[in-house]
Amino acid sequence: MFKTLCSTAALMSVLAAPAIAKEFKFAVTTDPQSMDPHAVNSAPVLGFLNNVYEGLVRRGKDMAIEPALAVSWEPIGDGEGWRFKLREGVTFHDGAAFNADDVVFSYERASSEASDTRSWFAPVSDVIKVDDYTVDIMTNAPNPIFPDSIANWMMMDSDWAAANDAALPDKEAGNYATLNTNGTGAFMVTTREPDLRTVLEPFGGWWDEAEHNITRAELTPIQNAATALSALISGDVDFINPVPIQDVARLQQDPNVNVIQGIEARVIMLGFDQQAGAAESGQGGSDVFLDARAREAVAKAVNVPAILQTIMRGNAEVASQLVSPAMRGYSDAVSPYAYDPDAARALVEEAGLAGTKISFKCPNNRYLNDESVCQAITSMLAQVGLDPVLDAMPVQNYWPELRADNFDMYLLGWSPGTLDAEHPIRFLGSTPNSEKKLGSWNFGGYSNARIDELLPMIQSEIDDGKRQMMLDEVASTMQNEVAYVPLYVQPLVWGTRSNISMTQRPDNFFILRWVTVE
Amino acid sequence: MLTFILRRIGQSALVLLIVGLVAFAMFRFVGDPVDNMLGQERTLEDVERLKEQLGLDRPFPVQYFKFLEEAVQGNFGVSYRQGREVSEILLERAPATLELAAVSAIFAILLGIALGVYTAIRRDGFIANFIMSTSLIGVSLPTFLIGILLIYLFSVELNWLPSFGRGDVVDLGGWTTGLLTASGLKSLVLPSITLGLYQMTLIMRLVRSEMLEVLRQDYIRFARARGLSDRVIHFRHALKNTMVPVVTIIGLQLGAIIAFAIITETVFQWPGMGLLFINAIQFVDIPVMAAYLMLISVMFVGINLLVDILYAFIDPRLRVAGK
Repeated sequence: MFKTLCSTAALMSVLAAPAIAKEFKFAVTTDPQSMDPHAVNSAPVLGFLNNVYEGLVRRGKDMAIEPALAVSWEPIGDGEGWRFKLREGVTFHDGAAFNADDVVFSYERASSEASDTRSWFAPVSDVIKVDDYTVDIMTNAPNPIFPDSIANWMMMDSDWAAANDAALPDKEAGNYATLNTNGTGAFMVTTREPDLRTVLEPFGGWWDEAEHNITRAELTPIQNAATALSALISGDVDFINPVPIQDVARLQQDPNVNVIQGIEARVIMLGFDQQAGAAESGQGGSDVFLDARAREAVAKAVNVPAILQTIMRGNAEVASQLVSPAMRGYSDAVSPYAYDPDAARALVEEAGLAGTKISFKCPNNRYLNDESVCQAITSMLAQVGLDPVLDAMPVQNYWPELRADNFDMYLLGWSPGTLDAEHPIRFLGSTPNSEKKLGSWNFGGYSNARIDELLPMIQSEIDDGKRQMMLDEVASTMQNEVAYVPLYVQPLVWGTRSNISMTQRPDNFFILRWVTVE
Repeated sequence: MLTFILRRIGQSALVLLIVGLVAFAMFRFVGDPVDNMLGQERTLEDVERLKEQLGLDRPFPVQYFKFLEEAVQGNFGVSYRQGREVSEILLERAPATLELAAVSAIFAILLGIALGVYTAIRRDGFIANFIMSTSLIGVSLPTFLIGILLIYLFSVELNWLPSFGRGDVVDLGGWTTGLLTASGLKSLVLPSITLGLYQMTLIMRLVRSEMLEVLRQDYIRFARARGLSDRVIHFRHALKNTMVPVVTIIGLQLGAIIAFAIITETVFQWPGMGLLFINAIQFVDIPVMAAYLMLISVMFVGINLLVDILYAFIDPRLRVAGK
């Protein structure tokens, strides 16, 4: 009984809070797996923790790099590395001061074997503390885009980590940093109940001026799309991501709800098995796509604008290459493949492929309307004389299938973590090479010696003009050889209550410090 | 008698072992957790290393044996998704499911018996016929559809009740309850109706047919001849005798309510064990899936064991057959 009274009293006091309290409730489909910024390299985790932790640099509303915990940076010598001047007077949420030791510690932690983010530091040879507020990050080769590549590398307090026995991330068994946070960011996590709710409150000692007016934010994961939608319409939550494409038109009729649309950094494409003999190792595979004419036929047979109009309801953009126009290094040298079913049919005839069975693998819960897109592609290919056999499956079965080479053709989405055109070349365009950690998502085994030669040159070219020329060359080569068939840039659809204003960023990160509640 | 019980317990243990074996054989088809655990920038070596570390490269009987070995020591492993002890997560989620199941069961029993009695007494009345035909909806509509319809009506259109979640909960030393707050109680309404509707219909139909059967018996006729009032006949004599099979069914259905909570929990984002299980499947969180399936089968096997033993006490013929 006493407890009941207490809880009732607590409830009353919450209700009696001052009228200026601006509470913001947001729902996402995937709960961040961990609160540790170095344990998991996934968008839900990094996107959420961007509100809590900060890096040396951060991305602004236009995705451009801007100073955060570093006030300025400059290359050292002829590109031996980068010197970062740190911001003074920054404190962590527990009150400890931020300085160069924390940067060195965060480097060691984030680049350790136990960390998922260590691939970010492959170009780094050393991180040196020059003085309390100056750090030199040395690179193996000149690295012009290094500052761009570390916007998600977040700073952790070395003393806090040591005191709580969390000096290294522990993804498998978890540790103190899996559930608790201590960043320098605009918000502090005050309650963390994995999978249920996570409560954030503004950090009073934040170094930057607050643009938001939130006094409390609560994150709830809602997996069921219909439930999330009803929660938004009924006002139980203020924000959902994503809004199902098919409900956009209906939501736009509702005066209490806003739909914010944009395009994501993610490009959806078709990939092909281009390795001879894969037919023997995998089941149901053939060597159809070793013939460039077959790949070209697919490129010409798929009517992307029609797919976007019907399945995406006009919410996406046609892609010409593996990155979207908003990315750095986007090439103006290439344009999308033209839809030309007659030419495609002629190519199929010429190559003698009419009626050849093609195993087409597709995920059914990974990208927006992925299975419907694959079905449309299947019938478009059938129209030009190919015989694709579609096999759609959940993503947890999909990646093992691709790794086992059980496909002729597959659907893939790629969102470049560095927001730079070099990223997909490294993962999708390079010949697979486990020693150099290249081509790890190049399931089809596309290989071109010139691209392999250009990649390290692109990575170390300081001159923007020369770099772009090489990126253009790669983009044209991949287009001419039909390495992949880029389809479209995936749409981004957020739903909010109409009293909320916010900024949508193409990396699909939800930045709380740009939210205002009226 | 003792032999009978021991044999039943032995059989139950065997059932549990087989359930576990089937579950582990199935896990291979659910997919591969390593891609979910590693980020976009993983290398193929990372994939292999993690598989080996988790023991996923070994054949499933070996994985199963390892699970059993750990489980008998009370260790259900660490969740791949959350990086926390599975037993801790299950304990945290159990109150939500049990509370929902209890409220649904009470709703189903009270309303089911009341409506069953009413439709039996007023067999040909208009209202009784109406209840009987609408009850068909309760049996034939799938749970998720009922849930979505209720949300649409009471949350979206009328805005009376919350559309998801448990509301505010009070922590009573490890047991979180939503029964003590206004928002917690409001949140319970729609999920309980959704979950309990099928059982309610079942109980109602059972009570009605049993009651009709009993009302035809001679002793009811004698009671009427003695001039007893309708109320005494219906509720003291008829209903009491109706309850024997009904109680048995209710007992067996309790397990089903907890197990079927999965769908209701998904629709209402109810933070119970069922939702945990669904999320675990999507992530291929094998330790959580294994522990949940074992827990549910222990529950079912336990209830059945209890019923069997009770029957044996009631019916001596079973004991003889047991020898």
